[in-house]
Amino acid sequence: MSFDESEKIKEFHPPKNYKTLFFVVILCSFCALILAILASSLNQKQEEAKTVDRSKQLLIAARVLSYQNYFLIKEDNEYHPAVFDQNSDNLVETSEIRKATQKEILYIYEKRVKPKLIDPKGNLVDFSTAGINYQKYLEDNQKTGYASLKYKLIYLVYPNASSSQISDSTKPIGYVIPVNGMGLWDAIYGYLAVESNGDTVIGTTWYEQSETAGLGANIALPAWQEQFHNKVIFQKAPDGTTNFQRAQIGIIVVKGKVSEVYGSSPKSDSAVDGITGATLTGMGVTDAYRDVLKQYRPFLEKLAEGK
Amino acid sequence: MKKYRSFFLDPLWKNNQILVAILGICSALAVTIKVQVALTMALAVSFVTAFSSFFVSLIRKITPDNVRMIAQLAIISLFVIIVDQFLKAFFYEMSKVLSVFVGLIITNCLVMGRAESMAKNVAPIPAFLDGLSAGLGYGYVIIAVGAIREIFGFGSFFGFQIIPLSWYATAENPGGYVNFGLMPLAPAAFFILGGFIWIANIINEKRL
Repeated sequence: MSFDESEKIKEFHPPKNYKTLFFVVILCSFCALILAILASSLNQKQEEAKTVDRSKQLLIAARVLSYQNYFLIKEDNEYHPAVFDQNSDNLVETSEIRKATQKEILYIYEKRVKPKLIDPKGNLVDFSTAGINYQKYLEDNQKTGYASLKYKLIYLVYPNASSSQISDSTKPIGYVIPVNGMGLWDAIYGYLAVESNGDTVIGTTWYEQSETAGLGANIALPAWQEQFHNKVIFQKAPDGTTNFQRAQIGIIVVKGKVSEVYGSSPKSDSAVDGITGATLTGMGVTDAYRDVLKQYRPFLEKLAEGK
Repeated sequence: MKKYRSFFLDPLWKNNQILVAILGICSALAVTIKVQVALTMALAVSFVTAFSSFFVSLIRKITPDNVRMIAQLAIISLFVIIVDQFLKAFFYEMSKVLSVFVGLIITNCLVMGRAESMAKNVAPIPAFLDGLSAGLGYGYVIIAVGAIREIFGFGSFFGFQIIPLSWYATAENPGGYVNFGLMPLAPAAFFILGGFIWIANIINEKRL
């Protein structure tokens, strides 16, 4: 480059670059400022929405709440629509279906769901006994899951009763286990609720997933999740009995229909239909149940054997 | 006044961003699987194009030419993030369904197309009208594609089952109705969109 040319370039550019840089800095700071204000003002609302959604999904898994957002109570092994009655502080059966408000859902959650821990031997312990702070425990482990920890998280679901009747010694009607695993694209998070016999499934939900919309994402749909009701997590032997010590644990999402894969063999009691076009998501879900339940096995065996 | 009207009406049909300019095709494939998703997306895109065009036009005279695209992109992303955060706070369930697609509005070529070809040349209010109707023009097309895909792919419309469940093939009645398995997949949107563009071309040619 000759001396003349570099002179020319110098003449043209410095003032322009300076102006450009100034413009970009101002524009970016302005955008950043707006977003910062927005994020901090909406943050609380977003966290609330997330917590409400998680609590709701847990109640749906435990069949205290239906997918259509009304309460359920169980009578003679059947679920009936219910509403919250302020006077008796209880859910009462109703013929007129009314959707539950967010406040009622949170109240019922507070009252009937209690988080506890399972120690390595499979015994229930309180958070205070284990010396663990619940909020901090959740924050630290919600990304990686609770199953591989020394103290594993479990939710006890108490029967429908007023808050004064529910105490630590009340026998839970079910246990909800947080389940997590890898789907096709990303981590998936959900709940699995089992009855107090530690074997029969009440229900399941997947509250956080980013599977393919319309295919793998259907694991979050009620129609698919309904299948889990009354399945068993300990696989039955060919003669229909369950050996809790040796049986395989988990629920298998088969490729295709259960009736085509297992026929009417007792194995079909631990399997659900797969989703067409979402085989890999199904495998991820199967793995998630197996890997998580394996860690909870000592506790579930104790429940199943009535100890 | 008449001029404002043409700013608004032009991108709706004569200069429709999808059908005529063939922009925004990529997102049209991803979010047209169901009508409800397509509708939310249409509203989100309309909001983003309208306001980003307005602000791009507002600063058009002080924007240095060599960074104008980066400046446009910064403004577009600002509005996309606003939409995303807003959905997460107030329509949590919808934001769960849309997941990454809201963030991907940034890469929707029609938003940038409006900023680059219109907003940087005209005053803020025409730019706003033009952006809004470009978004709406995009919106009605993806909602139509979504309707076809949902009806034939899932037998439902807006989440309600419209093809009676009793028509469906079962083990006892293997000759019954079966959902069109291609519809939920992306290629189906290609075919439907191609058909729409073809029809639009025929109509537009006749008018000339």
